[in-house]
Amino acid sequence: MSQKQHADHIYIEALLKNDSKVLSKLYEKFSNKIVAFVRKNNGNSDDAQDIIQETLITIYHQAKEKNFILTCPFDAYFYLLCKRRWLNELKKRGTNRVTILEDEASIKDEHEQQVEETEIFEQQNQLFESKFKELGAKCQELLKATFKIKSMEEVAEFLGVTYGYARKKKSQCMGKLTQLVKNSNEFQQLKDC
Amino acid sequence: MEELRYREFENYLNNELSETEKISFEKRLKSDTNFKQEFEIYKALETSLSSKFENEEAETALRNTLSELGSKYIKEDKIKKETKVISLMRYRKLMVAASIALLIGFFIFRNGTPVYGDFSKHNNLELVVRGDNNETIKKAQDAFNTRNYTTAFAQLTILEEQFPDDTEIQLYKAICLLELDKYSQAETIFNKISEGNSAFSSKATWYKALSYLKQEKFEGCKQVLKTIPESAEEYTLAKKLLKKL
Repeated sequence: MSQKQHADHIYIEALLKNDSKVLSKLYEKFSNKIVAFVRKNNGNSDDAQDIIQETLITIYHQAKEKNFILTCPFDAYFYLLCKRRWLNELKKRGTNRVTILEDEASIKDEHEQQVEETEIFEQQNQLFESKFKELGAKCQELLKATFKIKSMEEVAEFLGVTYGYARKKKSQCMGKLTQLVKNSNEFQQLKDC
Repeated sequence: MEELRYREFENYLNNELSETEKISFEKRLKSDTNFKQEFEIYKALETSLSSKFENEEAETALRNTLSELGSKYIKEDKIKKETKVISLMRYRKLMVAASIALLIGFFIFRNGTPVYGDFSKHNNLELVVRGDNNETIKKAQDAFNTRNYTTAFAQLTILEEQFPDDTEIQLYKAICLLELDKYSQAETIFNKISEGNSAFSSKATWYKALSYLKQEKFEGCKQVLKTIPESAEEYTLAKKLLKKL
């Protein structure tokens, strides 16, 4: 895809590099609006801080894993993501939603597409993570070691098993995880996106 | 049956199938939708988990930066924070973090030799007392506390010129060197501090042991650990590490 990178892509890069200078600009420029929105809608500024942080962490992962390229202004993209995340959180808390779906119309389609990409990315990650936690402790251990250490020889040594056994176990555990994901409701929903 | 299938996924992704096996595998991907779907999930899981675990440390570092910026720029509700009301969400996150930390600790300690990472939780660098509004101090601190050791080292070197007698600066400089795998330079500084009689001498001894640990010089590590006196703050940790060795 030869999408054109928006100038605001610097914020994505700052996340990747943990560049506190640029990131502090990000907070300075964009956080007020989100804080205001959250506070207007049954939240306080601690909630807003959490929402902002978790959204940024998601974007970080998406950029790291999928080389996410920002093609629209960060402002609109970020605001919409945070807003939806907060509305979700309210739903989870069972708070009645008193408000407000204002300016959504002012968001252009192409922006919305980027927002949705990020949201789907996150839903998929959450699904994977929650299914990972359903695996037995042994499988979790082994997979974690596999992905952290990389070389299967070293994984085997680290766990004190043979190389052949480690490899066999890895594909077994991954297979189990594949099944768990495949048979989940969430996966069916994601597929329809 | 099923098991074989995942073996095959694994081998395909690792590029370990023979030419003929590969061709028949790819043919099946085209014709068998169920096979294809499972393969897609398997592959997506592989990418996602591997990225997640690979970037765990980087994520923590980024989280630290963001929390700091968050509290700096989102100032309201200060009163609440002061009375230590932890919002439910954050509390939950803390619990999760704590249980993960426990799990990881458990996981690592049960399995053979200890590694440097288990014991290298550095205290944050806090030099603020050295005079206010010193830009270099702030930079050094920020860099160190977000594990940006190259920058931290550079800033600390500048600071060392301003405060030539400050042992803490020297110690943290050496920690940076240790993190950057410059062992002999780091150890020279640790030795100097450890032989002196500043408040940091036993801490320096502890770090010297960690430097050996990081290089997997386990015997040397043990010998150094044994010299840490019972009265030292690091004694408990040292004992714990000794037991593992």
